Amino acid sequence: MTVPQQAEAGPTTRPAVEIVGVRKQFAGRSRRAPGRLALDGFDLTVAPGEFLCLLGPSGCGKSTLLNMLAGFSRPDAGQVLADGQPVTGPGPDRGVLFQTPMLFPWLTTLDNVLYGPRARHQLDAEARARAVELLGTVGLADAREAYPHELSGGMRHRAAFARVLVNRPRLLLMDEPFGALDAITRVAMQRFLLDLWQRERTTIVFVTHDVEEAALLGDRVCVMSGSPGRTRAIIDVDLPRPRSIADTETLEFVRLKRRIREALEAEHHDGDGDDGDGGDGGDGAGRVAGVGPAVGHADRSAGEGAH
Amino acid sequence: MATTSETPTGAAGPAAAPPQLALAAGRTQSFSWRRLAYGLLGLVLAAAIWELVSYLKDDPVILPSVQKTVSTFWHYLFQKYPAAQGKTLWQHALVSGARILAGWAAGVVIGVVVGGVMASIRIVRYVLDPLIEITRPLPPLAFIPLFIVWFGIGETPKFILIIVGVVPVMIIATVAALDAVPPELIQASRSLGASPLWALLTVRLRSALPPIITGMRLAMGGAWTSIVAVELIAATSGLGYVINNAGVNLQTPLVLSGILAISVLGIVFDSLLRLLHRFADPSTR
Ligand SMILES: Nc1ncnc2c1ncn2[C@@H]1O[C@H](COP(=O)(O)OP(=O)(O)OP(=O)(O)O)[C@@H](O)[C@H]1O
Ligand SMILES: [Mg+2]
Repeated sequence: MTVPQQAEAGPTTRPAVEIVGVRKQFAGRSRRAPGRLALDGFDLTVAPGEFLCLLGPSGCGKSTLLNMLAGFSRPDAGQVLADGQPVTGPGPDRGVLFQTPMLFPWLTTLDNVLYGPRARHQLDAEARARAVELLGTVGLADAREAYPHELSGGMRHRAAFARVLVNRPRLLLMDEPFGALDAITRVAMQRFLLDLWQRERTTIVFVTHDVEEAALLGDRVCVMSGSPGRTRAIIDVDLPRPRSIADTETLEFVRLKRRIREALEAEHHDGDGDDGDGGDGGDGAGRVAGVGPAVGHADRSAGEGAH
Repeated sequence: MATTSETPTGAAGPAAAPPQLALAAGRTQSFSWRRLAYGLLGLVLAAAIWELVSYLKDDPVILPSVQKTVSTFWHYLFQKYPAAQGKTLWQHALVSGARILAGWAAGVVIGVVVGGVMASIRIVRYVLDPLIEITRPLPPLAFIPLFIVWFGIGETPKFILIIVGVVPVMIIATVAALDAVPPELIQASRSLGASPLWALLTVRLRSALPPIITGMRLAMGGAWTSIVAVELIAATSGLGYVINNAGVNLQTPLVLSGILAISVLGIVFDSLLRLLHRFADPSTR
């Protein structure tokens, strides 16, 4: 189940991301205190052009995993490969979007976007034109000369997007990028991301807490369990593309959300925990009832209110 | 599902207008005639009270009138003091200003470099932290006699004294400023393709610049205290010397003129630093 179908299709296309047996331990506070095992024996493969969502409870190691992919930290054991190459440090081929936009406050929006080309000493007319075009794409054409403190929260996120996209990354790593946004802005950003992926087909690893967000965006949802972080289930999202926010009201979508939620909740009852592939569509009667009566359409508002 | 192609602009369209408005409002608010008028009112009030007290006291040695002080100030701008082999008030101010700038600039450079090393290398920090904690509460003025014994009464003890006051302030400001840079900001820079050195220069140091400039302003205040104090005791020129000498000769208007000159110079230096801060931090513009 951990091997995506896309990867099987062509043996010549190497996976965009390959994580094999990764282990990461954080040192304890004192010498006697045991370290925290954040990840142990973690495997994950992401096919080129795939949109993978990482979903799991707080503290299960999602950020730890993403930081290793970005090259901010190293695994204690195992391998982290991006495009077949071991990750040794951060680089512009892997664009990172943080929970907060992390724009440089002393630079205008345009200069923020041009930071990457300038840092790599590739600031030419082509890069400038591309930056201006990207700012148009993310709807910030009029805010080019504005400083980050003059932008709204959603605008800052879109500027951060443009700043990463100008580098033409082969892989986008996103750590709860919309977690701090209000519901309306978040929906706008999800729509924007769906549209972007539809056009560019960049490989995306997207960390989220939100079941609905994972189901709406991802090709597959990797449900994780914590302490140490492991893959609990990988659920294929076979909703048709291109998707839109309206899809969240379909019966198919609600069923899918239920499956994901079941996989997520399975880990809280440790007894029935180890049947990793809980996403087999098993409509376990007891839990279905627990999910709620709103199987028809009203579930959308309930879902948004909860997060 | 079919409308995805038009969504990004659709989502952005309405949101794109407000920042321009906010921007314009922010710029116009930063300078306000109203605020200036109130500030002037405060100054006029203070002068009026001064004038009133001096009128009631009627003793120019204890408190000369405002006019007397201003005319003395004006007179000595171009007259030597002391008359025989002295300098004009202008020249005394230049002497003090030059001493301040030299000592302060050297102290800022030393403080920023040492602070930068402390913030980057843990062992250096462990070694220097207690030293700074021990010396920081000492008023630099306590070192004046020591420095006079060591360095005589030339320019050296004055230079050293200012440095001694400026360096700890700058070290503390620099370390705090560098510590406060969010690690994600540096990670963002590195993952955009910056080399470690480029990230250090264009993000870590750049991001710490505004609080370091604030530290420079604080250190400038301390430098004035040091220089005037040392000029009071051991100098033949400078505003501190003028104030002390005029006081001994009961020339109160000239004492007040010297204080006025310090105040003007202090405001000029601080305004320049504030201007620098504005350039460094767009959100305060
Ligand atoms: N720098 C660190 N030092 C010590 N322990 C850490 C460190 N970073 C993470 N951990 C631990 O590793 C585990 C995984 O952390 P991580 O940040 O990856 O979780 P997460 O899944 O991203 O959670 P959240 O959804 O809340 O962001 C946690 O138990 C955390 O306490
Ligand atoms: Mg996290």
